[in-house]
Amino acid sequence: MEPKRDLFKGSSNSLLLSLLEQQPMYGYQIVKELEARSQGYFKFKEGTLYPALHRLEKSGLISSKWQMLSNGRQRRYYSITAKGQAKLVQEKTQWLDFFTAVSLILQPEKSGI
Amino acid sequence: MTQELSEYLESIKSKARLDYSDEPGVMSELEAHIEDKLQELTEAGFTEEEAVRTCLWEMGSIKSIARQMYEAYSQGSWKQVLLASMPHFLFGLLFVLDWWHYPSWLSIALILILATTFYGWCHGKPAWVFSWLGYSLLPVVVVGLLLLYLPKGWSFMALLVYYPLALWWLLRVIVQTTRKDWLFSSLMLLPVPIIIGWFLTISPSGKFNEDSMERVYYYAPWIGLSFMVLALTIAAFIRLRQRWLRISLLAISGLLTLGVAVYSATGRLNNPAFLAPVLVMWGVLLIPPLLERQLKNGRIIPRRHRDTGFLPTV
Repeated sequence: MEPKRDLFKGSSNSLLLSLLEQQPMYGYQIVKELEARSQGYFKFKEGTLYPALHRLEKSGLISSKWQMLSNGRQRRYYSITAKGQAKLVQEKTQWLDFFTAVSLILQPEKSGI
Repeated sequence: MTQELSEYLESIKSKARLDYSDEPGVMSELEAHIEDKLQELTEAGFTEEEAVRTCLWEMGSIKSIARQMYEAYSQGSWKQVLLASMPHFLFGLLFVLDWWHYPSWLSIALILILATTFYGWCHGKPAWVFSWLGYSLLPVVVVGLLLLYLPKGWSFMALLVYYPLALWWLLRVIVQTTRKDWLFSSLMLLPVPIIIGWFLTISPSGKFNEDSMERVYYYAPWIGLSFMVLALTIAAFIRLRQRWLRISLLAISGLLTLGVAVYSATGRLNNPAFLAPVLVMWGVLLIPPLLERQLKNGRIIPRRHRDTGFLPTV
């Protein structure tokens, strides 16, 4: 579904930063969390999550750390950085402004116009 | 992990062409994700075959993951930009400032090039080292050309010993570079057709003599300029993320620079003498990907995983 895909592409950074703001997470956990919180709306090809995470890490918005589990397996946990927090605040403001403007047009009766 | 999943990961690794330092982390992470996914599917009652098939479908196409991973890692830092464009800049500077005929400056440049190449080659072969490596091959070629001027018996010896050895070493370097990424081989060999073009301009007979020296003095600013253009090309190459843009940049800039050499020498671009460097330029851009294909022929990449072409659900 192309339009949905484009919408996700434009807001994937904000979504990922927003999830990591609450707690450090590993890739598979992020996929599950995103799917659960959006009630199945954000279901994407899981392998493409990692390039997005690594781009954010290269930009200094998140950082990662490998952790050894008790079963001997390793997981890479991502957490938001101070730069990421600042970026998220900025993107949240932009998104809310955009959302308000779109609502004013799509649902004028609810917006009190 | 099943054979099918191992091949899937191997194909991503091969196509993403990541740096040796980044590759293990990226692949371990994808492998961990697949293990988690398989465990979840098996616990939900899927058979092993169903679980693998579903897992591969939900992970996404090899081509898409590899391309996005390449783009996430391909952009070099400004420090790498400086390091990668420096050899072309230095080579250009030798001509712009007319220092090319001072043995002391040439020796300093040579030592700097060899030392930097050796350092980069021994420290994980980062992208910037390949533009230095191209110039490190020059002394081998120059010595080969000088050997042509030896007395007859000696030049026969050179033909038997030096040329096969030099060719073997050259091929070995190209193969090793292509194993990392064929685009680095093109990057490394990019100055070769430009140098051949300028050599033919200053020595149309193929022999370096006094007339050639005079021509070098005359064309020095243009020679310098063409290498400055190469320096800018490499700087842009290091900063670009998309592979197709990098390839286009090398092709366009290489041919344009060669065009400058041809035009400044003859005043026209249809000189048949320059067919050779133009062909070498096409070789620089076409032979490395063909060589890479040959080198990878041994690897098993099942057709069903090559590119499933499906788009993300979202």
